[in-house]
Amino acid sequence: MSSRLASIGAMLTAVALAAAAPALAQKSGGVLHVTHRDNPPSASIHEEATISTVMPFMSLYNNLVVFDPKTKQNSLDAIVPELATAWKWSEDGTQLTFTLRDGVKWHDGKPFTSADVKCTWDRIIGATEARFRKNPRKPWYFNLKEVTTNGDREVTFRLGRPQPSLLAMLAGAFSPVYPCHVPAAQMRTKPIGTGPFKFVEFKQNESMKVVRNPDYWKPGRPYLDAIEFTIIANRSTALLAFIAGKFDLTFTGEVTTPLLKDIKSQAPQAVCEMQPTNTQANLLVNRDKPPFDDARVRRAMGLAIDRKAFVDIVAEGNGDIGGAMLPPPQGIWGMPPDVLATVAGYAPDVEKSREEGRKIMAALGYGPDKPLKIKVSTRNIAAYRDPAVILIDHLKQVYIEGELEPLDTPVWYARMARKDYSVGMNVQGIGIDDPDVVFYETFSCGSERNYTNYCNPELEKLFDQQSVMTDQAKRRALVWEIDKRLQEDGARPVIFHGRAATCWQPAVKGINLAVNTIYNHWRFEDVWLDK
Amino acid sequence: MGAYLVRRLALMVLTLFGMSVVIFVLLRIVPGNIADILFDSAGMVDPAEKARIVAELGLDQPIAAQYLKWIGGLFQGDLGYSYLSEKPTIEEIAPRIPITAKLALLALIFSTVIGVPLGVISAVRQNSGLDYVIRVLSLSGLSLPSFWLGLLILMAAVRYFGDIPIYTRTPASLWDELLLYSLPAAAVGFRSSALVMRLTRSSMLEVLRQDYIRTARSKGASAAAVNFNHGLRNAVLPVITIIGIEAAFLLGGLIVTETVFNIPGVARFLVEAIRWRDYPIVQNLVMFIALVVVVVNLIVDLLYSALDPRIRYAD
Amino acid sequence: MTDSRIDFTAADHAAELARAGAHVTGWRGATLLLIRRYPLGAIGAVIFTLFVFAAVFADVVAPMDPLSTNSRASLAAPSATYLLGADFMGRDVFSRLVYGARISLAVGLGATALGCLFGILVGLLSGYLGGWIDLVVQRVIDIMQSLPLLVMALVMAASLGPSLRNTIIAIAIPLVPNVARVIRSNTLSLREMPFVEAARAVGMGELRIALRHVLPNTLAPIIVLATAQLGSTILTEASLSFLGLGVPEPHPSWGRMLSESAAEYVRTAPWLVIFPGVAISLIVFGTNLLGDAVRDILDPRQRS
Repeated sequence: MSSRLASIGAMLTAVALAAAAPALAQKSGGVLHVTHRDNPPSASIHEEATISTVMPFMSLYNNLVVFDPKTKQNSLDAIVPELATAWKWSEDGTQLTFTLRDGVKWHDGKPFTSADVKCTWDRIIGATEARFRKNPRKPWYFNLKEVTTNGDREVTFRLGRPQPSLLAMLAGAFSPVYPCHVPAAQMRTKPIGTGPFKFVEFKQNESMKVVRNPDYWKPGRPYLDAIEFTIIANRSTALLAFIAGKFDLTFTGEVTTPLLKDIKSQAPQAVCEMQPTNTQANLLVNRDKPPFDDARVRRAMGLAIDRKAFVDIVAEGNGDIGGAMLPPPQGIWGMPPDVLATVAGYAPDVEKSREEGRKIMAALGYGPDKPLKIKVSTRNIAAYRDPAVILIDHLKQVYIEGELEPLDTPVWYARMARKDYSVGMNVQGIGIDDPDVVFYETFSCGSERNYTNYCNPELEKLFDQQSVMTDQAKRRALVWEIDKRLQEDGARPVIFHGRAATCWQPAVKGINLAVNTIYNHWRFEDVWLDK
Repeated sequence: MGAYLVRRLALMVLTLFGMSVVIFVLLRIVPGNIADILFDSAGMVDPAEKARIVAELGLDQPIAAQYLKWIGGLFQGDLGYSYLSEKPTIEEIAPRIPITAKLALLALIFSTVIGVPLGVISAVRQNSGLDYVIRVLSLSGLSLPSFWLGLLILMAAVRYFGDIPIYTRTPASLWDELLLYSLPAAAVGFRSSALVMRLTRSSMLEVLRQDYIRTARSKGASAAAVNFNHGLRNAVLPVITIIGIEAAFLLGGLIVTETVFNIPGVARFLVEAIRWRDYPIVQNLVMFIALVVVVVNLIVDLLYSALDPRIRYAD
Repeated sequence: MTDSRIDFTAADHAAELARAGAHVTGWRGATLLLIRRYPLGAIGAVIFTLFVFAAVFADVVAPMDPLSTNSRASLAAPSATYLLGADFMGRDVFSRLVYGARISLAVGLGATALGCLFGILVGLLSGYLGGWIDLVVQRVIDIMQSLPLLVMALVMAASLGPSLRNTIIAIAIPLVPNVARVIRSNTLSLREMPFVEAARAVGMGELRIALRHVLPNTLAPIIVLATAQLGSTILTEASLSFLGLGVPEPHPSWGRMLSESAAEYVRTAPWLVIFPGVAISLIVFGTNLLGDAVRDILDPRQRS
């Protein structure tokens, strides 16, 4: 059993034990103090795609359905009701009807109805005049044609074609139901939801605070009186304050391996869990720009990469090698090791691959004295820059001399949109471990997040084919096939999947992290303080 | 005096006006704008949405029109809204000013209390061993980057106390608050004290060489009495100037120090606002800083000319 | 030090230096004399020279490639192989510091030279020509001086974007008014000097007078000013890079090295925080010592 499997096993055992043990009497009250890594762009989850917004503000809202907060792995099989009490697919798989909960109130006292659900998704698919300023979730719902209501307590999502993954998308943290009567702009600054906590304040670059919603529809919840997030941009400082006992919980996925070692030695009582962040570092190669329009150059580049070195350095051994989908056992859809080994460029003997790469480059007229000079563009953020520096180091092995071009965030997006780069190092977070979420956004022709302009109509057909499948095992096999072809095509070579830990003090109870996401388990309604 | 004041005030207005143009133009040169930043968290940019945001914020208008709108607002006391938080700029800037002001004041006290006496001692004992020690010390003070000194202080706090002060808006006690501010104030103040010491020393030396000191000495007054009665009193003036200059100088040091100590003051806020291309914040904050500098300079000059006759008299 | 030092004037220095130029032995003698008179300045000169040496011969001095990563050496503690340890990506800290000297000196010398050049030009023009040019220049200087140097450099650096060249420009521009001010006041007093009047009387052109007679006489304050600024430009670069607005990765800028490690490894790898800071402090300390000595030599009025 690999160490990874062992750790998963240990985690599952721990969960089983926790479930089996007689439930401790939960205590109510207390303020949970949490560190926060940076300033969230706004409080409106529908307008953002960052954990910085999700972790502090997910507790303000409810979804229709949610990934079971008690399980360790988010999957289509583990979805439980929230604002919807029941749901049903139509015969042909194109209509999903929800029955809504009675007696739920928004934080401002207005009743929650089916109109709110319709309003929220109408804004996303652009079916209404009232819009979100930013609409990052739009690509998820390309297949959603219409949302209809039937009285106050029933709502139906109508699809263009069957798509079982719709339920997974609705179950993630990025799919809260918004109140129809509150304008989108207010949701960014003074949000209102139905969730277990109510918004108090958001001080830019300083702190965020939410307090218990006394009228929460779930009886006896939440336990906490309030949650306070303090923004501490410097990671060392944040963790030091945690070690000193000033905070109960660290920001999720912020504890890197060296920092984890430090916490283990300085605060051995702390509970820490290392988990995949479902964030991947991948390469953007501009296939329209010479010399990268030549598949041979792209191939030589792929052969130079030593993925294990990336994992060892950037993730201190705590990372996973895989394709576009998060590798198993944490990931549901990733290629298993035996399939991965058959993918070109993932061979274990890197020196041999590099030799092949050098031969290719030599045949194209490059050599040690006449290297191919390129610029490697990346965002001017450590998480991007570190792998880019390593990439440049590796490219030297195949006579490619890279120069790092660090770009400020706005410049980066502008350049990506214009396709004005040769090679880029990109870090991509994936909200839900689901093939529909990954494939359409990243690899379909004409998608805005398809920075590399990769367009393969043949593969696109396979995207649709897997999307309609209801048989999970068959779907998974097809997803592996697609992933393999994406990697071999060099659509967006994936370097590694990151991991990081989250830590909390032993007095904090009721936190349950998932192994294949950092986003979806922050409702905080089951969390309590044993103080 | 009246005419002088009017002239100075007119020049002040002119300077601030010039600053407003400079900062406005500079910010428009910066590649990328807030619309791109806003999309950062969305992980993609939809050109249509971007165009809408740009129009909503008025960034598609001619630069002159944007400028006039800003300046017009300034005159009516309307500083506009932060692009990022969508709150009035004044609400974002105002609560951060006292934080930085407290820090700056503490640092100023620190640098004066340490710098002036050392400077005087160093001048009086010119070329002694003590003078050398103090001079080397002050030079090293000028050489240590304040952010590094801050980091060393933090590292020491961790090593020896296992704890560091974390900023909270409502500290538990006055002691906590003092602890919270004094460490960063010391980090910035150390460098400033070096500057104060050097300048105090040189102005003190200048004064000590004056004829009247020699006269006083020749009349048989004790060395200590001469040094302190005549020397220090007359060196006070240049020291005031120094401290005035210091106030502006401190602000630069506070930018890095607030970053190191995670203190949400205006200085750090400026860096962050620049990074986010939050023009209303940057513009108004820079104007505020310029105003402080210009006013401090004016006060120093007025103080100088107010004290001037007495010095002539002393001469 | 004896009291006789107080009467030691620039003229003596000039004579000394003239002698030094004439004879090799005189050179040595003058050097020894300077070292004896200004021991602190001599220490500064040694420190400065060491850093220049490291920067120029970085290829030879540095034992490793400053950019080459090595997964096995990640966060390695100081040892025989990694003299000052290795950073997160396994890059040798000592080698990075040696190459970093290049950046610090390039920015320090580059920005100082650029700032002085423009400062001299502006100061000379406005002081010598006077009139409306002077008036305008004065107002522009007022405007630029209404912001602290680092704030000005910060805004400049953000406008220009992060790169080595832009960092030099961003730091040089805020220097211009300081230099211009000193040169202007010097020029103003020189303009009325008898030898300038004389030159005018023999029909020499204004431009020629400015360049031939006024400029050389402002040289001493320029040198004093430039050496005094050198340390502060190096510090400004470190601060800008620390804030992420200066010289970008993978260039081994000391300030940048500090900011990255400060965020992550203060506790786990303190050498990553300590050594770059020592390097910055040492070079700035050296240039400051040197600057003080140069000021004492060239500007006897301010001599301490």
